[in-house]
Amino acid sequence: MNVVVDLNRCQGYAQCAFLAPEVFAMHGEEALLYHPVVPDGQQERVLRAVAACPVQAILVGEEAGTGER
Amino acid sequence: MAADPETLIERITDYASRPDPYPLYAELREHGVARQQNGSYLVGTYHEITALLHDPRISSDRRNRTEPDEAGDEEQGIPPSFIGLDDPEHHRLRSLAMRSFGPPHNPGRIDALHGEITRIVQDLLAQLRTRDRIDLVDEFAYPLPVTVICRLLGVPTEDEPTFRGWSDTIVSGLDPARGADPTERQRAAADARRAMGIYLGELAASRRGNPGADMLSAFATDPGPDHGGFNQIEIMTTAVLLLIAGHETTVNLITNGMLTLLRHPEALERLRDEPALMPRAVEELLRYEPPVQMLPQRTPLADIEINGVTVPRGAPLILVLASGSRDPRRFPEPDRFDPGREDNQHLGFGGGVHSCFGAPLARLETQAALTALIQHLDAPRLVEDPPPYRRSPVLRGPRHLLIDHDRAGG
Repeated sequence: MNVVVDLNRCQGYAQCAFLAPEVFAMHGEEALLYHPVVPDGQQERVLRAVAACPVQAILVGEEAGTGER
Repeated sequence: MAADPETLIERITDYASRPDPYPLYAELREHGVARQQNGSYLVGTYHEITALLHDPRISSDRRNRTEPDEAGDEEQGIPPSFIGLDDPEHHRLRSLAMRSFGPPHNPGRIDALHGEITRIVQDLLAQLRTRDRIDLVDEFAYPLPVTVICRLLGVPTEDEPTFRGWSDTIVSGLDPARGADPTERQRAAADARRAMGIYLGELAASRRGNPGADMLSAFATDPGPDHGGFNQIEIMTTAVLLLIAGHETTVNLITNGMLTLLRHPEALERLRDEPALMPRAVEELLRYEPPVQMLPQRTPLADIEINGVTVPRGAPLILVLASGSRDPRRFPEPDRFDPGREDNQHLGFGGGVHSCFGAPLARLETQAALTALIQHLDAPRLVEDPPPYRRSPVLRGPRHLLIDHDRAGG
């Protein structure tokens, strides 16, 4: 499973960093860092983060990040 | 006969409207912005609410109102917590509280509660399953978030009867005026906030020599960033805010959620078959039956124009979030409950700098609660519909929710 965050949409609500902290991390209070390839065992948490994002900036799927949608 | 839009706030806060305020919100959206007889202004459309949530001219500090109220009287109570302050004070205090709650300083705190939330849910369910008829509020939806917030803050659960009384009084002080003089209610609320603040402040102070992993210990001992940590008054106001918010809101999200699922059996069945859909379903509940219906505390710092209506500086401005989340100009088929809804930027947790501090915790608790309830209650059905509601039009939810189910093993 792969993840892409649309950083133009991201407003730093940090819901993903709470709900899947091994995949998404806040650098300071605004910048977001994330692992584009979701580690094993983190899929459920990532799906929670996707649903929780208040600006729906997280794209997830087998193809995310390969330029396909 | 067209009803008078100037009486909308009276009709919305009327207890008889509690089971179904949504037709009144539809009426509100027709007017966009509705001035009320008492001088306050209601906003109920999605795009206008969203803009106002991000507008620096809109204050969250009631002391900016032209007609001050008792809730802002510091001789009577304690100062506002960060929910009732503007930046930069709001930001300083919220960031300090966040240091022990979430990222960037404590990113794993909420994730680490998974196991404990699951255990509490299972313990509560084990008791429910021994009886045919349950009250979901008293026996499940209330004790779950209270137990969690007490563990998180480091408040002894056995003191719950004490702070439940304070909490009820504080919440009743939030109700927008219903025509009657609200002074007495707000005075009682200020007294209750002070009493709860003293109680929590003493608890925090007692941890100084012997801090635990709880948030009150962190509040009392964290030296903070450059501009320092909390002072004693700030610990009191912040702890009161988090304890109230942690136990007056999630109870309604869980209860409104189960009520909605029991009213939509096809959605309940779908979630039973596809548990991975639950995070989305909880977002839909936050849109469709949100526990916080409106933000009654906002005030413009200048005359502002909304949809052609001038709202004067200092007037009470009430953002009806639950109405915005049902706005057909933003959501297709807004009155339909769709647990798989994809485009769902609801207003359930507000938005902007004051967006709900505890949102990730509320999400996890509700996902765990509803998943367990629909998996383990056999053939659940409502005993009465609509159920009796709690008084508050702001923090709205059933006071009791009686459910019959087929008892485990017979």
